[in-house]
Amino acid sequence: MNDIDLKNLRNQAEQEIKKAKNLNELNKVFKEYLGKKGQVSLIFKKLKNAAPKQRISVRKELNSLKSFLQLEFKKKQEQLEISNSVEQKTWFDVTAPGHKEQMGHLHPLTIVKREIMIIFQEMGFEVAQGPEVENDWYNFDALNMPKHHPARDMWDTFWLKPRKSDLLLRTHTSPVQIRYMEKHKPPLKIIAPGKVFRHEATDASHEFQLYQLEGLMIDRDISVSNFKAIIYEFLKRFFKKNVSIRLRPSYFPFTEPSFEIDMGCTACEGKGCSVCSQTGWLEMAGAGMVNPNVLKNVGLDSKEWQGFAFGFGIDRLTMMRYKIPEIRLFHSGDLRFLKQF
Amino acid sequence: MKFSYNWLQEYLDKELPSAKDLISILSLKSFEVESIKKINKDFVLDIDITSNRVCDCSSHIGIAREMAAIMDYKLRLPDFKIRENSKLLAKDIVSIEVRDKEACPRYSARVITDIKVDDSPDWLKKKLEICGLQSINNVVDIANYVMLETGQPLHIFDLDKLEHKKLIVRFAEKGEKITTLDEQNFKLNESILVIADAKRPVALAGIKGGKGPGVDSQTKTIVLESANFNPVIIRKASQFLKLKTDASWRFEHGIDANLTEPAINRAAKLIQELASGKIAQGIVDFYPEKIKPKKIFLDIDNVEKLLGGRIPLKQIKNILTKLGFKLIASKTVSGKIAVEVPTSRLDISIPEDLIEEIGRIYGYEKIPVAAPKICLIPPEKNMNIFWEEFSKDILQENRFSEVLNYSFISEAQAKTFGYEIDKLLEIENPLSSNQQYLCPSLVPNLMRNVETNFNYFSEFKIFEMGKIFSRATNLRKQKSKPQTVVQGNGLAVIEQRFLSGLIARTKDGNQSFYELKGVIDDLLNKMGITNVWYDEYEPTPEQTKICVWDIGKSAEIKVNDKEVGFLGQISPKILKKLDITGDVVLFDIDFDTLQKLVSEEHEYQLISPYPSAMRDLSILVPKETKVVDVFNVMNRIGGSLVRDIDLFDIYQGDELHGDKKSFAFHIVYQAKDRTLESKEIETIHGKIVKALEQNLEWEVRK
Repeated sequence: MNDIDLKNLRNQAEQEIKKAKNLNELNKVFKEYLGKKGQVSLIFKKLKNAAPKQRISVRKELNSLKSFLQLEFKKKQEQLEISNSVEQKTWFDVTAPGHKEQMGHLHPLTIVKREIMIIFQEMGFEVAQGPEVENDWYNFDALNMPKHHPARDMWDTFWLKPRKSDLLLRTHTSPVQIRYMEKHKPPLKIIAPGKVFRHEATDASHEFQLYQLEGLMIDRDISVSNFKAIIYEFLKRFFKKNVSIRLRPSYFPFTEPSFEIDMGCTACEGKGCSVCSQTGWLEMAGAGMVNPNVLKNVGLDSKEWQGFAFGFGIDRLTMMRYKIPEIRLFHSGDLRFLKQF
Repeated sequence: MKFSYNWLQEYLDKELPSAKDLISILSLKSFEVESIKKINKDFVLDIDITSNRVCDCSSHIGIAREMAAIMDYKLRLPDFKIRENSKLLAKDIVSIEVRDKEACPRYSARVITDIKVDDSPDWLKKKLEICGLQSINNVVDIANYVMLETGQPLHIFDLDKLEHKKLIVRFAEKGEKITTLDEQNFKLNESILVIADAKRPVALAGIKGGKGPGVDSQTKTIVLESANFNPVIIRKASQFLKLKTDASWRFEHGIDANLTEPAINRAAKLIQELASGKIAQGIVDFYPEKIKPKKIFLDIDNVEKLLGGRIPLKQIKNILTKLGFKLIASKTVSGKIAVEVPTSRLDISIPEDLIEEIGRIYGYEKIPVAAPKICLIPPEKNMNIFWEEFSKDILQENRFSEVLNYSFISEAQAKTFGYEIDKLLEIENPLSSNQQYLCPSLVPNLMRNVETNFNYFSEFKIFEMGKIFSRATNLRKQKSKPQTVVQGNGLAVIEQRFLSGLIARTKDGNQSFYELKGVIDDLLNKMGITNVWYDEYEPTPEQTKICVWDIGKSAEIKVNDKEVGFLGQISPKILKKLDITGDVVLFDIDFDTLQKLVSEEHEYQLISPYPSAMRDLSILVPKETKVVDVFNVMNRIGGSLVRDIDLFDIYQGDELHGDKKSFAFHIVYQAKDRTLESKEIETIHGKIVKALEQNLEWEVRK
């Protein structure tokens, strides 16, 4: 028994480990060399009879051979295991359709409303609510539209019977401003999402039951500049891209000055297309600086407080978000529509 | 309102921008232009005059003035000077009597004799046509022309057809009638202002003329009316008669009382020129209280404070002057300018109105964008919205889809569901019979969703969160409940938030009830409400009429002693009436009441650090026995050591006697303060078994 024998043994074992094609074969090789009756074990047994001096040096070498082989086996085994699983993967059809859980769906208006609420809440706005049936004081008078004010015509109204009850279905979410300011002192920042009703014939883009979002911010020196900043920030976050906005003069009895907010058309980037009727702009909201008469109506000193109010349609934002061409789908209750969200 | 591009040009010293540019300039500074159309060599612009500016902009001069201010042009007004016939005095020919100066603050009239009624010249016909008016004859056309030019509606009477050559402005008497120029008949009442001669109404004041004294080809002498009427009276009359005209539109928005004079002169001059009339001397003018211009002190600092950008003082002054405002130098003190408002600007009454004028002409696009400076107060959480959205999420996780329905029901729906019509809230002016009543429940429209969706799906689960409406009958009692009450005149409405939903299957859904009950348990538990139980549905006499539920298969959902809603099978009668074949199980929860329990009850339950142990128990009971009865015994005996009982099987099979069934429970034992030893557990478990067996019909299987 000499060095050469051990070297041969080592080479031979190494070769056979390399050649092993699968775990079974590797196992055979392992038994052949490191098993109880394997070649290495046999040499160990033979050593008992060898001279003490030789015994020590050979044992040392044998031990190193043994741990070398153990390591080689381990490496080869890991290698085979990996390739084995790769082999299995080729048996696996990833293109077969997945099993779908029948999930529930939130209404697209709910999804968009939540998104809007989050954006404004992040900017420090509180969410307020109010009743859907209103009396005409909250819906009109308190908003600087006394009885027989011709501007009342801007809001076609569903009235409750009898007409003299002066109860109506709110035509906008602006009454929430009044109700909130009656109970809270400025500074204040609120939004109020909710159902509103318009007495008008319906078509693909007109509904008699709508969802609006009101906004109100009152402090000591809130200006048109500040309003531009807030509405710009909102639109940018909602549409997840840089948008351009412009204000156009308009008229609402409860704001002075009043304006419409246009956003550069997101479909054509302002070049003009069918979405924006070739104007390059989309009308997004009505807004303005709260009229001092409105502040007076809720007992606030208009010399001390000022601010802006705005309102836009959640339906419209939702239609833009999902490219929904027909507003009446929202109330259809049709699950073929609702399950898409 | 329709405007002619060429006509506008006549009042300006420099050339207007192209029609296309004009639209965008007007849109950004004044009004939206709805449409533009080329007609021959002219353009017709449909300008959307906002309701506050009808007073000064429902006229070509008005829009031209806007353009002059925007473009910094000069306004060239037409000639209002006339030649009068000094031999005839108007006041000798016609007498005017105004009975109510509130209703008619001014009435100006002129008399023109020797006129020749004929066709209008082409230029006049064309102008009217472009603005959407039909040519009638030269005299009537001139009246319309002057209205489009100045904004003042005019009316013409044939003097010879007026009884006693008299005009009286008065309210109609009940029962009086009038036939208008276009042959419409109206019955009048005391709220309608008319112009009458000595005998009968000859015109609906500010709305339309009567047929009687109308101008015809034989007319020789006319009375020209240029008046000012109370906007509210005209508006009410126009609404009552359902008659809207170019005149009523202008009057109901209010017009400058000082406009009657220039307008009547302008018309007289044109009639003289085009119908060769002679103008009798003088205006017969009823004008007891002359309207004088308002003065407003404008604090220059406030312009910047409200708009947020600094505009040079010189520019501010220029804008105001161009718009027709006068700056009174003598009254201007440092930092404040005194502004005299032209009487045509009825819309301007406070400094903010002036700031709007400055802002829009200066240009909102030039106002810088600046984030507000505010103190950071985190927004308060709206708990109503929080719980609404929270519950929607739970239902979605339970595979329900959200629907949003209209807040109305039809009479047919109300009848199907047994609602008493006179207790519902009716809409005065529904668009169709589908919107006759406010919904007293979300269920009728959810059932409509079932009808729709059974066409495409054999099984689905839907819910809606929304408001239902009812009459408040006893206000004091109602106020104690968590709900919204809105007070009107003699009618108060209660609004309640409801959460309702259903599971619908075209085939028999035996398990639907328990499935839905599990969902409700999950919802309430996740909202932190633990003491939920279900009581047999015992309808009150009133509820019996409203036959939504299949009484034998429905339950009241209760938390402690409060009823929060119902759960159960829909009444087969309703399914039949709606012609639905299938199985529908509903829930209907008063969300206001439920949420109140949440806020009071949502409390963290300590998790015991000590181990729990589970024992199973199976019991044979008569078929009619309710699970809750068994639960009650186990809970009573087990007390605080029973943490949870779970019914995992109900069995009713052949090998059991026909009238028996078996329940199988997992009972989880756990103490909050110590480890329960098995001996102790066996003792309690034994006690429970013993207690159950005290009922002689119950048999615990061992």
